Amino acid sequence: MLEIVIFGAVTSAIYAMLAVGFTLIFGVARILNLAHGSFYALGAYGAYVLTSIAGLPLVVATPLVVLGVALFGMGVERVLIRPMRKSQLAVLMISLAVALVVEQALFLIFGSEYRNVPSFVDTKLNIGGVDVAGQRLLTLVVAVAAIGALYAFIQRTRLGSAILAISQDPEAAQYMGIPSDRIFGVVMALSAGLAALAGIMAGPFLSVQPSMHLLPIVKAFAIVVVGGLGSIPGSIVAALMLGYAETLVAYGISTSWTEIVSVAATLLMLVLRPAGFFGKRAAF
Amino acid sequence: MQLKNIDRGGAVLAIAVLAILPLVFDSRYLIGVLTVAAIYGIWSVSWDFMSGLTGRENFGHSLFIGVGAYTAGFLNTVWSMNAWWSLPASVVMAVVFALIMGIPTLRLKGPYFALAMLSGAVIMQRLMLIFWEYTGGEEGINGIEPLIRSPLHFYWFVLAVLVVTTVVLVALARSRWGLILKAIRGDEATCQSAGLNVTFYKIASLVISAGVAGMGGALYAHYQLQVSPQLFAVVTSITIITMVYVGGMASIYGAIGGALLLTLMTELLRNFGEWRLMVYSVALILILFYLPQGLVAPTWERLRRSLSGGRS
Repeated sequence: MLEIVIFGAVTSAIYAMLAVGFTLIFGVARILNLAHGSFYALGAYGAYVLTSIAGLPLVVATPLVVLGVALFGMGVERVLIRPMRKSQLAVLMISLAVALVVEQALFLIFGSEYRNVPSFVDTKLNIGGVDVAGQRLLTLVVAVAAIGALYAFIQRTRLGSAILAISQDPEAAQYMGIPSDRIFGVVMALSAGLAALAGIMAGPFLSVQPSMHLLPIVKAFAIVVVGGLGSIPGSIVAALMLGYAETLVAYGISTSWTEIVSVAATLLMLVLRPAGFFGKRAAF
Repeated sequence: MQLKNIDRGGAVLAIAVLAILPLVFDSRYLIGVLTVAAIYGIWSVSWDFMSGLTGRENFGHSLFIGVGAYTAGFLNTVWSMNAWWSLPASVVMAVVFALIMGIPTLRLKGPYFALAMLSGAVIMQRLMLIFWEYTGGEEGINGIEPLIRSPLHFYWFVLAVLVVTTVVLVALARSRWGLILKAIRGDEATCQSAGLNVTFYKIASLVISAGVAGMGGALYAHYQLQVSPQLFAVVTSITIITMVYVGGMASIYGAIGGALLLTLMTELLRNFGEWRLMVYSVALILILFYLPQGLVAPTWERLRRSLSGGRS
């Protein structure tokens, strides 16, 4: 029982880190970014390169990778997505193409074999009779801290108010002199950085290989549908629901069936309540 | 009227060239390449019929292809049924999946359909690996019988299927039906207020598209004589989408040109093996930016206009 509580929380934390960024860039810029999983993959590969090949300590590598991926995300938004923003389908196409370019680049450079990303802590902790890897607990803590920091950033800073304003009413925000194009770049960077952080934290206990970007997109989409497109509180609640649902299925039935949960949840939710639990609301 | 004749003439000429080519250059290699191109043609045409006309892009066409191919594999090996049963059975299975995916998502506006199809295909590929006891896992199903023993005759059969489906789909696209689908792409709300059951038309066109794609999957299974989870991969869908974009969206026949062009290019790029998918992805980005109308269909439009002496 306690096992389910702990492992469900860790899974949910990773999902939340992925889904919050995915929904943020949609809520603010109406960009459905299928390259979101690539940021996650680049995070994991970045950590692998800087630690295993360049020999940097992970504590130094992490901020470098997060910053690098954030800049990459900003670049993708500026060069490829922005000229296409008129059409939502063109954005979907171009971001999926970017995702495949990244996947193929990783494949050509590193090959298809699994890579090991080092963990921050190797100790195992015993909580009430359940063995938990320290890395998993740290992931939980980092996720809560990162999402909390994002929340504080959006609520407390000037830039945050600008993001919030655009997500509530893009036209009115523009009339108030908010440079929405520049804000989209910032939001893309935030979203990409958060995904990269998730990749670095989850890397040690996940399979790091070139096509690893696909499942996160599937999960993030399911979460965003359940929580409501564009709603961050919705995506956090839905991340918890999906994380725990998958853990319950894994323990109750079989780990084989966990992958179905996200697609079943997506389709069921679209039948029952397409707007998601939290409907269309502003970013926070 | 004259334009129609030029269209017909062009089509007959293209079919004749494709059918006679393997007789002129007698090589199994060429027959293989053309068979694959024709199968990709079937997939691209079916994608274009639904997504090109209604503007609802399907990022998981590989789902229907994979379902069709695995249906053929199962019937032929596990239940050892005659290979010819694969074709109707794969159509039925693909249609079932089209209904499962289409009914919840196509009622809605927004990007739900595109993303749900992508998710569906990704998860099906995972399931093929997870339930390896039944699906053969990474290796897939081997030992599928060929539909027709002679490769040349099989190629002609595939070509015939391609021609028939294209003729039917083009006819549908140019009928009232196609007009409605194009109107949906233009303005869904207006169609609805005109009393059209928009959801029905979208789902029905997905069902047709999926059925054709599933049959193409079965043909592919009986050509490769094995099926693997790779059929469900997102790159399969992207390859098809790139082919349609190269051909020119919503023209249907253009998609065949795109399929031929890209399959032949792939063969020329054989030496670059691993770079193939990279080339596709970059080509897609470049087309989206610089040639949003595509290549094949606009070229044909220009050609026929000059042939008919400037009348448009």
